[in-house]
Amino acid sequence: MLVSIQGLTAALPPVADRPLAIDDVSLEIAANEIVCIVGESGSGKSMMAHAVMGLLPRGVAVTGGRILFDGADLLQESPEAMRKRRGRDIAMIFQDPMAALNPVAAIGRQVTEQIRAHRAISEREARQQAVDLLSQMGLNEAELLLSAYPHQLSGGQRQRVMIAMALSLSPRLLIADEPTTALDVTTQAQILKLIKKIQAERQMSVLFITHDFGVVADMADRVAVMRLGQVLENGAVAQILERPTHSYTRALIAAVPKGTCAPLDSAEGKPLVEIRGLSKTFRRGGLFSSRGAVTAVDDVSLTLNRGETLGIVGESGSGKSTLARCVIRLLEPDSGAVLFDGADIAKMKSSRLRPLRRRIQMVFQDNHSSLNPRQRIGDIITAGPRAYGENKAAVLARAADILRLVGLNSESLDRFPHEFSGGQRQRIGLARALMLRPDVLIADEPVSALDVTVQAQVLKLLDDVRRKMNLAMLFITHDMRVAAEVCHRVVVMRNGKVVESGPTHTLFSAPASDYTKSLLAAIPGRGRL
Amino acid sequence: MIRFARIFFAKPATILVFAFFIAIVLIALAAPLLFVRGPLTIVGMPLLPPGAPGFLAGSDVLGRDMAGALAYGARISLLVGAASTIGAVGIGVLLGAVAGYYGGLVDELLMRVTEFFQIIPSFVLLMVLVAFLQPSLGSTVIGIALISWPQVARVVRGEFLSLKGREFVQAARTLGMRDSRIILTQILPNALPPILVVGSMMVGSAILTESALSFLGLGDPNLLSWGSMIGGARSAMWVAWWTSVLPGLAIMATVLSLNFIGDRLNDALNPRGQR
Repeated sequence: MLVSIQGLTAALPPVADRPLAIDDVSLEIAANEIVCIVGESGSGKSMMAHAVMGLLPRGVAVTGGRILFDGADLLQESPEAMRKRRGRDIAMIFQDPMAALNPVAAIGRQVTEQIRAHRAISEREARQQAVDLLSQMGLNEAELLLSAYPHQLSGGQRQRVMIAMALSLSPRLLIADEPTTALDVTTQAQILKLIKKIQAERQMSVLFITHDFGVVADMADRVAVMRLGQVLENGAVAQILERPTHSYTRALIAAVPKGTCAPLDSAEGKPLVEIRGLSKTFRRGGLFSSRGAVTAVDDVSLTLNRGETLGIVGESGSGKSTLARCVIRLLEPDSGAVLFDGADIAKMKSSRLRPLRRRIQMVFQDNHSSLNPRQRIGDIITAGPRAYGENKAAVLARAADILRLVGLNSESLDRFPHEFSGGQRQRIGLARALMLRPDVLIADEPVSALDVTVQAQVLKLLDDVRRKMNLAMLFITHDMRVAAEVCHRVVVMRNGKVVESGPTHTLFSAPASDYTKSLLAAIPGRGRL
Repeated sequence: MIRFARIFFAKPATILVFAFFIAIVLIALAAPLLFVRGPLTIVGMPLLPPGAPGFLAGSDVLGRDMAGALAYGARISLLVGAASTIGAVGIGVLLGAVAGYYGGLVDELLMRVTEFFQIIPSFVLLMVLVAFLQPSLGSTVIGIALISWPQVARVVRGEFLSLKGREFVQAARTLGMRDSRIILTQILPNALPPILVVGSMMVGSAILTESALSFLGLGDPNLLSWGSMIGGARSAMWVAWWTSVLPGLAIMATVLSLNFIGDRLNDALNPRGQR
């Protein structure tokens, strides 16, 4: 065994919601093995990674257990000895490579610095090693890359650089903490492949932290399932995926959207929103200068029918959110028309638009920033009707009904957003939108910030609400699996253009474009879950 | 509120400083009761040292009671500090909010105006303004407010720029809320902490500015302030130290305590501050 964690226990500071970050966890990682720790947010999976690195956040202290690395107890080592181990024996890559790279230093300097911190070699030798490493990571023109800065690279390139840095000293253990969570699905597939290839070539061990069972299915040799700081189940990947013994594991696996099209009720309504040739270009620069322009939405036409859910799928930068914001007129499109119930709202003056606004509502992605932190839920969800002149007392009665509809009780009215969990806040956001009895609901990545079990609940709720209120729903997502579960029809976007559209099952079973095919092929754990 | 008080008073010195500041405010308020003859009446021999019978803080070059003058001076200093800060915060919040919320051309224009005020040596502008408007309490307050608002406008604009992109503001727009209502009920409450901090610091700097003006004789000639006391005592500085040192100490202590309170407000209102 390369790593043997025995009865590891770490205490959280007294203000936390539970006493222990890690509760009596034992886990072994053999040489040349990928072990995945999978769990939802707050399960303690990241704490495990940081404990092994000896980098627990301030306030979290190990209170018991041992972490044996090749026989030596890491917990007994001096800070200096641990510092030397980091990078040389154990290396780590993080979720957000932009935050992990120094934004003002060139890539070359950052990679060589890492190498020279541990090895007495010249700058030139270090640069040569850096070039070799970056090439091995599948980065073309590695020479040129050395003088580039992090912001000039794509997310995938940055993560490759991070992996190159982590591997520069040939560590025996690589810890990967959600390394692909911030990446697009096709990039994620490439990075996962890369990690797997390098692991096999170098025969090293990998501790892979993730929330995504699809990633687990693609990567792991063995899996540990964590919840609330405890390991619930631990075994070979095939065993955990096919014969999970713990009910929580079963629930987690069941909650993963499978990408199989669920049979939905037929939605044959009349067209409610018609988008014709819509374009939106962002120009940067100020009053006296203009620096380039980005066409975010490029001549898009589509129709949304009453009672149906239309999915808009695409990777980051595909223009799907901009499109949604043009439809709801948070942005004014440059050209084209948005016909809502016959009236073109694309260029409508705000005074004429105002009465129509209440009929198109939106649920946002970030449940932290979508609720005003200084207002009570009652004020937040009655804000819409009050903006149209209804008095608060009358609206409050309706608010309690709507809250019940989204699965919250009326006591929530007097509380503040921070008192709720992410899933509950998303329900509040939905309640706010429903208070105006809209015809169209735009959901912009409504579940992408949520844990899978909560994700499944919110998706079901959205579908229930759509049915009950006969809403037309425009569902924006980057996740093909989610789109397959809730959408009647799907539109695939790339670089501002519509690549392909059609009924969900047709598009998933017989995609016409290569791009759609590549998106479907990149779904993690495809065919294994 | 309880959390706020706990962090605000986390440093033991805060209680002392806060009590000191409250004491100055109380003395200022009670000055007409404590010193019924007013600050300008000649009541004894000139240049009596502190501790002379009936003269706790001595007397000045004209034989006026220094203790009374200090108490009345506190009224002027605090009044000017508070009133000009309210004025500056009012102008700054209004212009900063409009510039930050609407952006684009409106923002460009308002920021150029703001920069116009920032690039002019502000004290020179103030002296010109006060001389032009005739030295009086009102012109001092207006003048200080006019040179101080750009700082507030910058802070408020920055807050509005970052807050208007937050999804709850976008949500308010999709609900059909009017701009004025979004600014007042959604964004402004979230931008209050930095405004409060800048405001509390600004009271201190306004007091300093007023003192400097009065020292130069550009204050209201009918009122006694700490600055004009020092100005009037210039000639006697070497023979009667207390005539200039005592009002100087009063200015220093008041401004320091305001800055300290501003610092603590910053810690207590900053959500990322230590809990």
